[in-house]
Amino acid sequence: MKLIIDNEKTELDFSGTLDALLRELKLMREEVVVKVNGKLAPETARVGPGDEVNVIKVVFGG
Amino acid sequence: MFDKRFRKTVRMAKMLRKGERVAVGLSGGKDSTVLLHSLASLKKDLPFELVAITIDEGIEGYRARTMVPAKRECERLEIEQKIFSFKELCGKTLDELVAGSEKSRSQKQESALPCSQCGVLRRYALNKAAMETKADKLAIGHNLDDMAQTMMMNIMRAEPSRIARMNEPVLKSGRFVQRIRPLMLTPEKEIAIYAMLKGIALEHVECPYAGSAFRGHVRKMLNESEERYPGTKFKIMNSFLEMEGTLRERYSKGASLSLCPECGEPSSKGMCRFCQLSQ
Repeated sequence: MKLIIDNEKTELDFSGTLDALLRELKLMREEVVVKVNGKLAPETARVGPGDEVNVIKVVFGG
Repeated sequence: MFDKRFRKTVRMAKMLRKGERVAVGLSGGKDSTVLLHSLASLKKDLPFELVAITIDEGIEGYRARTMVPAKRECERLEIEQKIFSFKELCGKTLDELVAGSEKSRSQKQESALPCSQCGVLRRYALNKAAMETKADKLAIGHNLDDMAQTMMMNIMRAEPSRIARMNEPVLKSGRFVQRIRPLMLTPEKEIAIYAMLKGIALEHVECPYAGSAFRGHVRKMLNESEERYPGTKFKIMNSFLEMEGTLRERYSKGASLSLCPECGEPSSKGMCRFCQLSQ
């Protein structure tokens, strides 16, 4: 699976829900928006090999 | 869903009236930009005037970047934009003020922290700008997360008097433009999703001073609570709305408002915080 976090690309071996992925990455659901294969996806969506997951931080201080 | 909640919030709190002139505090971040879009859309059904006011605090590498989308969105929506700066208002940028306070004060003192200073100056600047643009209301992009954080911060600091004036000053004055918060019941994440769905291009940048704030600690705590106990932020906000009236009544008794001897603006006691910081 291709994983992009704030424009940084990496490969990750993962299968499961986005919720589980965010927990594994130690990211808070409340602070990010996730796109799967270019489309906004809910945390219940399942992802796996072949998917492109883009995690975008949306909560900033200031 | 988003538009419905936005309009319901405006209607329930009686925030706007036909024909009023509304100034939007537009930083160029997602909250204020989405607020501008939503008000521009509401304006089609409820005729009122809209003007955007942008405050340039003078934060190197930060504000200049968000001012670009702010200008672009005003042009796109054909809304007049007025820009004010800390430098014009008090002779110093926030960067200069922070550098000065680091030399002269202990950073452990909360009032010396950049976010506290910026909060005082920005409130003053927004009000002054709204007065100058002859606005009846000042709309600001505070969302559900901001409100829940402020509520918790006031509780953790044991400052119920601040809860009483979270929405507006306890005492009315002709020198305060009434503030409205049409996004106060909308979660921050929903605002981000709305901006994406509407194709509003934003600069995702974090204020370089944000890390020093108590607010950052509370934000993290509330987001962790929300993950474990969904609805936490709404429950905090509902608690605020429930107790706001009682607290306002209690703290308005015996309260008086004087004028700052330096600038003539309303102040609860002696020289206002803006003038203290500007000196």
